[in-house]
Amino acid sequence: MRKKGKRTRQLKALFLFGLILTLVLMLIVSTVGRQEFNTPHKLALEVLGRAQSGASSVGGFFKTFWHNYSTLIGIREENERLKEELRKYKAATTRYREAVATNVRLTKLLELKETLPPPTLTAQIIGKDPSQWFKTLIIDRGSSDGVENGMPAVTVEGIVGQVVNTSPHYAKLLLANDPNSALDAVIQKSRIQGIIKGNGNDFDLYYVLKNAEVAQGDEVVTSGLGTVFPKGLMIGTVTNVTKNRRGMFQNITVTPAVDFSQLEQVIIVMKKASLAE
Amino acid sequence: MLIAIFLAIGTLCLVLQTTLLHGLPAWMGQPDLLFLLIVFAATHLDLFRGAVLSLLLGLLMDIFSGIFLGLYPLTYLLVFFVLKGSTRHLAFTDTLHQIPLIVISYLFANAAIYIITTVLAPEAVLSWGWGNMFQQVIIMSVTCIPCCSIFRWLQTRMTPGGNSSFLSLGSRPSNRFKG
Repeated sequence: MRKKGKRTRQLKALFLFGLILTLVLMLIVSTVGRQEFNTPHKLALEVLGRAQSGASSVGGFFKTFWHNYSTLIGIREENERLKEELRKYKAATTRYREAVATNVRLTKLLELKETLPPPTLTAQIIGKDPSQWFKTLIIDRGSSDGVENGMPAVTVEGIVGQVVNTSPHYAKLLLANDPNSALDAVIQKSRIQGIIKGNGNDFDLYYVLKNAEVAQGDEVVTSGLGTVFPKGLMIGTVTNVTKNRRGMFQNITVTPAVDFSQLEQVIIVMKKASLAE
Repeated sequence: MLIAIFLAIGTLCLVLQTTLLHGLPAWMGQPDLLFLLIVFAATHLDLFRGAVLSLLLGLLMDIFSGIFLGLYPLTYLLVFFVLKGSTRHLAFTDTLHQIPLIVISYLFANAAIYIITTVLAPEAVLSWGWGNMFQQVIIMSVTCIPCCSIFRWLQTRMTPGGNSSFLSLGSRPSNRFKG
């Protein structure tokens, strides 16, 4: 029995030795031999390759995610930069348009100034009447510039009003459409005279006899009488003519040539100092 | 000091009314901030300070509006004294309670301007437009809530021991029966 157990142990040791020797020989043969993967190599590669593939996929996902994220940050910054540039260009375009509009307006004012009796003065409107009952404006020219009460104010489109109060550097204008304003006028085509009075929005032409021929679309200009406004300045266009049964005169509504809500600059027609002064 | 501060605020309101508020769309109207200050003075300031402030604000308004010098001081003083007399025993100090007061006094002030102008210049035909008047009244009613809150906040800040809470919309006078 003891011999049999000893023999079994010897056989096991021999088997183990043979197995190791075989593996070593296989390794040596494969290394020195054809340089190709054997089955265990392939098996190991298959297993580890799958793991690598999975890891690479996960890494690639994160890498792509990070790349996209960092690109997005870059795009956002670029977007902000482009928006800022766009804002700058828009502002520049607005300034350019404003400059062109101002140029056109001032050119027209200059052309008008040349047709008006000298001297004239250009004034900027800086304030408007806050009440709903009166139509006045504040301009940035005053008595130190030679502005006096009663001086007329005009624009390219037509008459605006006249100066009613002054301080050294500012003055108050009463608009022609104020109910307290009145001026001599003449219908340009027929030379019929009347008095233009404001009604808060438009003008009413008073004291035109019923037998006078007045039609819609007739243009009304200053008559030059009253010595406040120069002759021939545009006042507005006749838009409504009514002849009542009673009374001597017609009811005539005149739409102003000037848009009083859009005024920015006016020309003050200065009075010439008389020789007596 | 209180008069000087409210006068400065009134000047600021007037500058706003004559410049920036004209740029608002037509449907929004042009809130008369100065008038709100007059109503506030009538309900919150004492007789002397309120009258002086109304007079000074009226003189200021004369410069920027209309052609009859003295029209606005007269109208504002009239409004001030009428409001002072009528609200003497009424609790109109709350901002929300001031809305009907502002509506009535605004119509009263405009009627006064209309009548005085018609007397001064009978040849000038002023047209009373109810539509425009209602629009203004609504605008004033809406505007009075923040404006009166600001005015009251300033007043309490200037008054020794006053409550400095800005949002005093629903605040009530202190309990006079307490302690």
